[in-house]
Amino acid sequence: MSRAARLGAFIIATLAILAAGIFVIGSKQYLFTPTYRLKAEFATVVGLDAGAEVRVGGVHSGTVRGIELPNKPAGKITVLMDLQRSTHDIIKQDSVAAIETEGLLGNEYVSISFGSAQALNVKDDDTIASQPPLVIADLIKKADGILDTSQQALENVTVAAANLSSISGKINQGQGTIGALVNDKKIYTQMDQTTVGLRDTVNHAQAGVAAFQENMEAMKQNVLLRGYFKKRGYENSSDLAKNEIMELPQAPPLKTFTFESKQLFDNVDTAKPRNQKSLRAAGQFLADTEFGVAVVVVSTASAGDTQKDLVLTQARAMVVRDYLVANFSFDDAQLKTLGLGKGKNLSPDSSWGTVEIIIYPADTEAPTQSSAATPR
Amino acid sequence: MRSTITSVWSLTNRFLEWFGDLGFFGWQVLRSAVRRPFEGRELIRQLDEIGSRSFPLVALAGAAIGAVLALETRSSLVQFGAKSMLPAAIVFSIIHETGPVVTGLVVSGRVGAGIGAELGAMKVTEQIDAIEASGVNPYKFLAFTRIVACILMLPLLTLAADFCGVMVGWIANTLVEPISFHKFIHQGLAGTSFNDFLAPTFRTSVFGLIIGMIACFQGMRTQGGTAGVGLSATSSVVLSSLFVILADVILVKVILVFFS
Repeated sequence: MSRAARLGAFIIATLAILAAGIFVIGSKQYLFTPTYRLKAEFATVVGLDAGAEVRVGGVHSGTVRGIELPNKPAGKITVLMDLQRSTHDIIKQDSVAAIETEGLLGNEYVSISFGSAQALNVKDDDTIASQPPLVIADLIKKADGILDTSQQALENVTVAAANLSSISGKINQGQGTIGALVNDKKIYTQMDQTTVGLRDTVNHAQAGVAAFQENMEAMKQNVLLRGYFKKRGYENSSDLAKNEIMELPQAPPLKTFTFESKQLFDNVDTAKPRNQKSLRAAGQFLADTEFGVAVVVVSTASAGDTQKDLVLTQARAMVVRDYLVANFSFDDAQLKTLGLGKGKNLSPDSSWGTVEIIIYPADTEAPTQSSAATPR
Repeated sequence: MRSTITSVWSLTNRFLEWFGDLGFFGWQVLRSAVRRPFEGRELIRQLDEIGSRSFPLVALAGAAIGAVLALETRSSLVQFGAKSMLPAAIVFSIIHETGPVVTGLVVSGRVGAGIGAELGAMKVTEQIDAIEASGVNPYKFLAFTRIVACILMLPLLTLAADFCGVMVGWIANTLVEPISFHKFIHQGLAGTSFNDFLAPTFRTSVFGLIIGMIACFQGMRTQGGTAGVGLSATSSVVLSSLFVILADVILVKVILVFFS
């Protein structure tokens, strides 16, 4: 190799390195690709330099060509950016430029967001909106404020906890109302005594009620009051539903005795019995026959007050039952009553209603006894 | 006391004389350069001698620097969790400072010693006088060609050193942790402008001027016999290396002021 050729090779090789370096750096600066220019205005650029990257959607697609200080105090710093032509379809007039930092210690770069589809295209030298950069010092200030606030909150919590502790301490020591309640045995003893007293009172009240009942009973027997009860046909209203059932058994009856209320009772609106001897046949049958259950079913005529008629039929059934139980010997638990209240006018004779004694065979069970208190 | 002042004065005097002679020498070279004929063949010979013959040495030095930087910087950057900055650290430090300075020092060693010894030998064997007697200007024929060759070749040698350094830096990096060359260069040149690349590279022309001037000057003022030749070879290497480093300090400042 001649001297000149060796020199030529050396010069070409090193100049190629120079060219490559210039090209690589130039392409990073977008010197050799078609670009367009955008501007964005910031109050601070937090150390952004000319030559910094511009990223669109995180992709390096431009460079900061220059940064211009404002010419009046109220002005903003203008950042001039050269962007690749290819981003022209993405960046619209509503795109926003922001200065961001790579990690905590990295370089600053400008990040431009995508525009919306319906927004207008940007033109060369347009100014797009900007977002104030995140300044670490401000962030620290904010964090400091948050720490202060949370410290105050914690102090408040501490105070509240101290208060609670003091309150619970007082309760423990028996101070105050709750403390007395929790700690003072006297109160418990007093309450206990009170309870005993209450129980005594109730007992006394019960005794009083019993005495009152006896008095009432005595009064019912009194000559002056007796007429009322006698006319009504029964003495104790609370016994009306004592043996009552809700409905008739499902089984077919063994035998049914039907009486007109007119024959059995003194008046159209009373349960005072009259001529009870006509029940004798039925009573005799009950005494002679093995039966499962028998029901005294009473209804009134269709005229009259519904509620009053219901009570009347219950009373009449009870009166009939009382007579049968008193005069004939059979298991009285098997004889039930059923007051139907208002019934229908079956015939002109039955305008007072009817009394039926329905007797069921031996294996029939009475339907589940409804409680006397169940309202009908 | 008196003797100390006298010796300091004589030292200062010699130093000033040396600078005065250097300035006069530079003026002579410059004045001779504008006159015809231009020594084309000699210039090509010197370009080859200083440029392409220095290439293997400079490339090796650059490669070594690249490898050392990659390995050394990695451990310290890993400590800071800034491993991703490694390509930038390697590429930036090579093209910005290490490549130019290493090239300047290596060339000042090789070329400075060569020129100083060659011209010194010609001076003591009175060949320079013979050239002058034959009507050729020795400043133009011997000094100017060498100085111009140094000025032209040093930036190119720097480019070669940069390239080898970056390549070997990438190779050393890849051996530890694979990274594609494209990504390495991309990250390495992130935020790099032309000022970061061209200004440091072409400031080595100043190094070339310093090396050529001092080596030729020291060679052509050689006195005495063969001992003088050795002395001027040594002094040209020492002085050119020293002035390259001093010039670098000043040039870095100048470049920072004017190019950034």
